[in-house]
Amino acid sequence: MSTRSLVEDSRQLQRAVSLIRLGARLQMLQSETDLPYERLLRLYKEVTGKSPSKGQLPFSTDWFVAWQPNIHSSLFFGIYQYLLKSTPIDDVEAIMRAYRLYLQELSFTGVEPQLSITRAWRLVRFVDAGMLCTVRCTRCSGHFLNHTFELTDQFVCGLCRPPARAGKTARTSKAARLAASESDEQTEVH
Amino acid sequence: MSNETRMVNEIREMNLQYLILAQHLIRSDRAQATYQLGISEAVADIIDALSPMQIHRVASSSTLMCRVRIDDELVWSLLTNGGQEQGDSPLDDARRLHASILVATQSQEALAS
Repeated sequence: MSTRSLVEDSRQLQRAVSLIRLGARLQMLQSETDLPYERLLRLYKEVTGKSPSKGQLPFSTDWFVAWQPNIHSSLFFGIYQYLLKSTPIDDVEAIMRAYRLYLQELSFTGVEPQLSITRAWRLVRFVDAGMLCTVRCTRCSGHFLNHTFELTDQFVCGLCRPPARAGKTARTSKAARLAASESDEQTEVH
Repeated sequence: MSNETRMVNEIREMNLQYLILAQHLIRSDRAQATYQLGISEAVADIIDALSPMQIHRVASSSTLMCRVRIDDELVWSLLTNGGQEQGDSPLDDARRLHASILVATQSQEALAS
């Protein structure tokens, strides 16, 4: 028997719908709302018109420090931290809004978003757990994500010192890249 | 119309547009707007509460209400590709994203100070 208020219930529902629209996986919804699994499942099917993808979420922090993902993650996280500081909103609200702003920012470049909302959420949790942190680049002063226990005295970000092969590979088509990132999400289980 | 009056009028137009856009952004999502506009929540509250009459009064000024957000040569050089022709290579995209990250970092620091 639920004793929760109706207003709270509708707030939770609204949040779940917003998250689903942003592409959140079911695990994220389960973790960030109090709604029962059955209800989330129905909601997911109703909003997206398909069943949620199965499989575990990526657990590795390594993805966030690879060259391109690190650029995307650091941008998202910078916006997220700004929102947390500037307004009294809870962290899921901040994740959703920072993610929208991240997508907006990318829409002006030719770059496809690499960060999914679920990854963005994992990222925030990894930082909460002290597994990832932000480090200031000694050249450009930008804040970039890094493993927490790495030596960072002379940290130079991947944009000030791009790896030798950065940008040299032919641009893959949008479809191919999406397929690659999807299979990546499915299989990256440690 | 003298050149000077035209300039002052253009500044007022710009101020009007800026304040109307700011209100629009704040009302559609206050938190997102603080990032987009680079203002604190306290200022967002004040702009939100302005009546159309007040907006007109505030906008009628010979100074611009909004200013360049980035006061950093590095960001400008990234955004303008160091003055060279903008290309469409992945590295040009990286420069843009680099600038965006620096803007996020600097906005955060401006907020803390």
